[in-house]
Amino acid sequence: MRIEKCYFCSGPVYPGHGVMFVRNDCKSFRFCKSKCHKNFKKKRNPRKTRWTKAFRKATGKELTVDNALEFEKRRNIPVKYNRGLWDKTVEAMKRVEEIKRKRQARFIMNRLKKGKQLEREEDISEVKKNIHLIKAPHAGKAKQMEAKMVQKLQEDVDMGAEDD
Amino acid sequence: MCTSVTYLFLTITTPTFRSGVWRPLQSFLLLLLSLTRKYNSVLSATRVKGSTMGKSRQTGNHSSDKKKHIAKTWKTKRRTKDLDQIHSDMKPETAAKLLRQEVDVDVTGCAQHYCLHCARYFVDMRSMKEHFKTKVHKRRLKQLREEPYTQAEADRAAGMGSYIAAKKVEVKTQTVEEDMD
Repeated sequence: MRIEKCYFCSGPVYPGHGVMFVRNDCKSFRFCKSKCHKNFKKKRNPRKTRWTKAFRKATGKELTVDNALEFEKRRNIPVKYNRGLWDKTVEAMKRVEEIKRKRQARFIMNRLKKGKQLEREEDISEVKKNIHLIKAPHAGKAKQMEAKMVQKLQEDVDMGAEDD
Repeated sequence: MCTSVTYLFLTITTPTFRSGVWRPLQSFLLLLLSLTRKYNSVLSATRVKGSTMGKSRQTGNHSSDKKKHIAKTWKTKRRTKDLDQIHSDMKPETAAKLLRQEVDVDVTGCAQHYCLHCARYFVDMRSMKEHFKTKVHKRRLKQLREEPYTQAEADRAAGMGSYIAAKKVEVKTQTVEEDMD
């Protein structure tokens, strides 16, 4: 007896739960709940269905490549019971799970940083575009012009003085 | 709501208004701007979605009697071929077998005109060629260009091993031999 994974959403299928569909070419599909089974019957693609694990992995929403993901495996060789080994395995499972959670959380936080940066860039560009709402385009230009005129006049006067 | 806000906005931006009262109203105006943007998006979203909840009864835009009960087509007893089955059909030896089937009077067109990618029989060559030009066929080809989804992929997505992205597969419409006799 083992906990299988749902074909559609990749969730756990516990013994006595869910549905198994056997296609007429003997291929079997396990579903954890009727929602997954219905979606399969409608021929939806799990990679394109937003709430499945396959979607989240395929679109880079979650951590995909990591050594912490390599521990859980389908092992088809039965192991003879050994109390020491059992204890150690359970301890190791807890530790691996802890590390995996941390790494996955960090991955998501790093992914969200990009959005913050884009938001800031967009804010800056919006202010630049709509600056005319806050400040009139020619505000303060008159004073500058005046200063320039004064300077020009001064130069002219100086030139005239030299000519004399 | 929307129109009243835009009206306010216009009155504020008119030149007569701008001279004296303008400065203290800056922040207020900006707030209004953001509000209009928000409400516009909300309004458009509700308009598209419609008011009724639950399963959509709509099956098409045209008034044909073909698909009245879509729930029946989802039953496992009427199940059509899946994409992974079609992928295995596309292997050269099986493809050759499917494209040159023996005459079977029970099947549409005596099983002589078969579209490999849509897993469908046609009455004659002409209708099959017409089918190759349709949206249904092109959409199916696009779906087939991605590697089929498997239980192994579901397991990997669940955290049993690193996830491997689906590969692209080149798929083309089958060639039709022109036999003139």
